[in-house]
Amino acid sequence: MQSSENGVESRNGVAESEQHILNFLDSVDSYLILMETLSSALRQGWLELASARHSMGASRVNSALFDLKSHHASTTVQVNDDLPQFKLCKWASSDDPEKYSEEAKFEEDELFQNKSDGPRHQHQELQEKRRDGGASPVGTDNQAQKERSKTLSMFGTLVSPKLRATQLSFETALEMLVEISNTRASLLHAYDQVQKDRTNTE
Amino acid sequence: MANKPQIRTSSSALIAMIADEDTITGFLLAGVGNVDLRRKTNYLIVDSKTTVKQIEEAFKEFTTREDIAIVLISQYVANMIRFLVDSYNKPIPAILEIPSKDHPYDPAHDSVLSRVKYLFSTESVASGRR
Repeated sequence: MQSSENGVESRNGVAESEQHILNFLDSVDSYLILMETLSSALRQGWLELASARHSMGASRVNSALFDLKSHHASTTVQVNDDLPQFKLCKWASSDDPEKYSEEAKFEEDELFQNKSDGPRHQHQELQEKRRDGGASPVGTDNQAQKERSKTLSMFGTLVSPKLRATQLSFETALEMLVEISNTRASLLHAYDQVQKDRTNTE
Repeated sequence: MANKPQIRTSSSALIAMIADEDTITGFLLAGVGNVDLRRKTNYLIVDSKTTVKQIEEAFKEFTTREDIAIVLISQYVANMIRFLVDSYNKPIPAILEIPSKDHPYDPAHDSVLSRVKYLFSTESVASGRR
């Protein structure tokens, strides 16, 4: 009876090890496919950037024009410490609570500085702004468009459509990179599990 | 909603870059550029005048900053500081080697795949059979 229970446990252990190996191989495969896709997206982006440089002139599209004044990144990443897992936050949308609370504070400061009808009216205005700010998806798209235009303005007011296309290609590349980061974390986790199984077997 | 498990999340973190000018330009257009009050950027443009020491310093700085979650590094640049990249083993920030215009991605040099390739080697297979 005990030997059959040991046999079942051993079979379950082998099945689990094999599952870990499959997970590892799947992660490696996904990682390589994603890197290949990333290469294509980047190639597209470089080609569009070269076209933009050709139409606008090299003096209008180069690193000397980068904005070196203090500013925050519009596109950031949120990290969940569990695996870790990464999530891309593009164009600092109004749904982002950190930015939203900064904006609300800024608006609150502005309102307090204004000489208007009185504290009650100011509070009502702020409440209305807060209700409007987080509700509409159209608002989020407008925010993204506004941030995109602000980033493009680094190279002048009127830019080539190719530069806008470059922006979109690199946005796509960013999304892939975040996916690659997550796949990398899964790959390393699966690798650790396989190593652990090998050590236990030995 | 009340029964949803709590997930630990940090505040927004940055993506740092060590790459050539065109790659940095593209990603800055995508909105990842950050300049702090001391005018320190989250990127290093690598060109013919950039020294290996500068690249090493940038890599060490980006991998020790708490506000950076991902470091993108062109693979040909990573090859210049290969020892440093391969010896890095923390989960965050994640180091991603990316291709550049003149140097396509080579899986053989990727630090993550180098770490795990032992499992595919003949020595590993032979030791499993003993």
